[in-house]
Amino acid sequence: MATPAADADFKTKLQTWVPKLVLSPSLALMLVFVYGFILFSVYLSFTDSRILPSYGWVGFENYDKLFRLRHWDIAVNNLIVFAALYIIICSVIGLMLAIFLDQKIRGESVLRPIFLYPMALSFIVTGTAWKWFLDPGIGLEHTMHLWGWESFHFDWIKNRDYAIYTVVLAAVWQSSGFVMAMFLAGLRGIDNEMLKAAQMDGATNFQLYRRIIIPQLRPAFLSAFVILSHLAIKSYDLVVALTGGGPGRATEVPATFMYSYTFTRNQMGIGASSSVIMLMTIVAIMVPYLYSELREKN
Amino acid sequence: MSAGSTDTAVRTGRITRTALYLVLLLFALFYLLPFAIMVINSVKPLSEITGGNMMALPQDWTFEPWVKAWATAQIGVDPTGLKPYFWNSIKMVVPAVAISTILGALNGYVLTKWRFKYDTLIFGFMLFACFIPFQIVLIPMARILGLAGLAGSTPGLVLVHVVYGLGFTTLYFKNYYQVFPTELVRAAQIDGAGFFRIFWRLLLPSSGPIIVVSVIWQFTNIWNDFLFGASFADFDSQPMTVALNNLVQSSTGVKEYNVHFAGAILAALPTLLVYIVAGRYFVRGLMAGSVKG
Amino acid sequence: MSFLTIDNATKSYGSVEVLHRVDIDVQEGEFLVLVGPSGCGKSTLLNMIAGLEDITSGTISIKGKSMNGVHPSNRDIAMVFQSYALYPNMSVAKNITFGLEMHKVPKAERETALRDVAKLLQIEPLLDRKPGQLSGGQRQRVAMGRALVRNPDVFLFDEPLSNLDAKLRVDMRTEIKKLHQKLGTTIVYVTHDQIEAMTLSTRIAVMNGGYIQQLGTPKEIYDTPANLFVATFMGSPSMNLIPVKILEENGGLVAETTNGLGETIKLPFATPPAGLKDYVGRTITLGLRAEALTDPDGADSKAVNLVTVKSRVIVMEPAGSDTFVMTEFGGQDCNARMRADVQVAPGEDVDFTINMDKVVAFDPETEDRIV
Repeated sequence: MATPAADADFKTKLQTWVPKLVLSPSLALMLVFVYGFILFSVYLSFTDSRILPSYGWVGFENYDKLFRLRHWDIAVNNLIVFAALYIIICSVIGLMLAIFLDQKIRGESVLRPIFLYPMALSFIVTGTAWKWFLDPGIGLEHTMHLWGWESFHFDWIKNRDYAIYTVVLAAVWQSSGFVMAMFLAGLRGIDNEMLKAAQMDGATNFQLYRRIIIPQLRPAFLSAFVILSHLAIKSYDLVVALTGGGPGRATEVPATFMYSYTFTRNQMGIGASSSVIMLMTIVAIMVPYLYSELREKN
Repeated sequence: MSAGSTDTAVRTGRITRTALYLVLLLFALFYLLPFAIMVINSVKPLSEITGGNMMALPQDWTFEPWVKAWATAQIGVDPTGLKPYFWNSIKMVVPAVAISTILGALNGYVLTKWRFKYDTLIFGFMLFACFIPFQIVLIPMARILGLAGLAGSTPGLVLVHVVYGLGFTTLYFKNYYQVFPTELVRAAQIDGAGFFRIFWRLLLPSSGPIIVVSVIWQFTNIWNDFLFGASFADFDSQPMTVALNNLVQSSTGVKEYNVHFAGAILAALPTLLVYIVAGRYFVRGLMAGSVKG
Repeated sequence: MSFLTIDNATKSYGSVEVLHRVDIDVQEGEFLVLVGPSGCGKSTLLNMIAGLEDITSGTISIKGKSMNGVHPSNRDIAMVFQSYALYPNMSVAKNITFGLEMHKVPKAERETALRDVAKLLQIEPLLDRKPGQLSGGQRQRVAMGRALVRNPDVFLFDEPLSNLDAKLRVDMRTEIKKLHQKLGTTIVYVTHDQIEAMTLSTRIAVMNGGYIQQLGTPKEIYDTPANLFVATFMGSPSMNLIPVKILEENGGLVAETTNGLGETIKLPFATPPAGLKDYVGRTITLGLRAEALTDPDGADSKAVNLVTVKSRVIVMEPAGSDTFVMTEFGGQDCNARMRADVQVAPGEDVDFTINMDKVVAFDPETEDRIV
């Protein structure tokens, strides 16, 4: 019902307009709060805004400064390390657990929620728990010493070179169960008769997974990649709660960088430009994905 | 995870199976341990934590840390405990979840059953909004909330969460209504039912499962949010997560770990509870939403 | 003035025209079947009559009143859907009376109407059940009940039997026909099943590629198909098509072709269509229904012009009531419908009798029937 004929009766005209009317508040909210705001942030990134938005045009100066900041460099490098490890480890663990759980495991209904519950928690809670658990003075290291393993040494959270890996550890703990659930759903969707056919053809279990099952999980891999990468780039809470970006700047990521430059260091222009870079990274990942998804459906 | 597919074609031997169980149990331990230790240590006196073994069960059981975390712990400047923040979170979460779910349901209904030109494009715009890094909207949002007089208020946070949750709820309902037979809607149209009546009498009565998904998703996301709470709230509206962070990070005085743990568990309790009660639907719905996009 | 008029109706999606200038007049009480392969535009046309899709150009009117832009519920139509489209959350009774409720019919009247329809369709014991508890046939009845209760000007059926199993489909077909005879309502019925079309309709519109290929009574469609598409789409087995050369002999027209033994045979026309003269010396396509190609004993005794020729049996398929024998004419496989107990075997050369009264001729280039 695209456009009503000029001579349409009231009810027909109403039915063409009501759906659009119903959709319009949501659309308006999106246009203003998402796309309008994005434009505003992009604009701010070209201004000399400091503590408050100001409208003096400075061109690419903020970006220029941003890329020369060692602080930003660290944040970007940390994000690359974090995102890569986080995505890979979550996928590997998730896939492994899903395949294992799919072997008619007794107690699956008990194990599944145990693997999954961390994703119901706030990153702040996760951060609090792990921060303490990893604290050498009181947590794991301390306990091992008490148990008589005096040489046990695990102080990554206090170590500049290793602290970022503790963020990976906590994040994997929180999200890998969710990835498991996605793969499990994918596995359960695979036609069993095809697997039986493959076994008749003489495939071993390993070949079955490698050649037939895992290739069919492509959509689950793609979804997992998209969701995890977007979580990684947005990650802010976990870093704040676990390490606060420290020790020093060792676990600073773009999300924390943006927050501190904008709201505590009063460098809003640079903060805005860093958020634009973050957005552009997400766009590069998301737009092709969304495009192909929506394409397929129509 | 249908019951029909339990008949798996893959057969495993005894040794493999033992190894499977071993690995699965090991991971179960990995997922349970941090939280379990938190629970154990939240009922210990502080001296047992700083002086003792975190793995040990408490010698002196005490619920003092829980009471303290809830009612008297120093958060920010006042010794209020987490209680007022808990209610702040409730006051923020309930309306935000309700509004975003209702709007999402209506959007999904329009986008599947009342299609019009460019509707896919509009949906694409809404969907993309799910994935933006929120940092890009922080500055303008702070500005707009200030201008609208909503800065630091619960209604302001409700607005923020509704806006940025809308893409997800729309996605869920759209996917769900996509498989709702369009012929039913046509039959109802011929019977004379209008837009809202079709929604109310036909779609809504069979939307139970997806409403559960949308509510759980929104509830956990909004309850667990930290960034918006930290950016746009003041004492009267600060949510639980922000208060917990303040409690844990406060540098004054002795670090009362047991109180921190009790507080963390308190902050996690509502979402855990929701997850335990309705988690099964959640995962199922999440799959429908994310795997099929 | 006809009852339902489709005048020059066109439907486009964007720049793609899917329905081209359709003209159909339906008289009151007629049973019109729209038949064609999937994607031919028949369902689109039905939805346009229902008002579920708008008309790009042209008009559709009911009782002389244009329905363009009129809301489906205000058209005084009712529709039975392929999936039945029963409201899953309402009881059978509610399903049937929902439309009346929407049209603000008083409760007492609704109850009476419900009882009448339930009795007519023999679904009284089902009224309190939910659609999920019904069998396919029962759902079908409820869907019809929902349409009947409105007592509309026009009934629209969108492939209503395609979800039923074979036996139930035949039963329901008879039932729909009975209902039509009893109530005398105007029906537009969409199907892709040509047997349904033949058995139910008073008139058939054969559609393909968004065009009406032929509009006529079942007999017209079957005996004198307008073109090769209609000839092959309607009838089972489908019409035999034999390339023949038209010759003039002794003042009459003769079709020359070969039989299954490779010998040349000549089939004289008794009453050739007037236009056939223009094709003398050219090759045309001769259409021959299976029942017009039989064993000599099975031939229609009333036929005027029977020709018996020899040909070789390739395959025989006993179907119980008949035996289908495949042979070859003009290099094409041809199905012959013989008596059930005919004694033939593959590879054998037997007599085939062709009923030349029933043959039709097609121009092989335009594919239209030569008249």
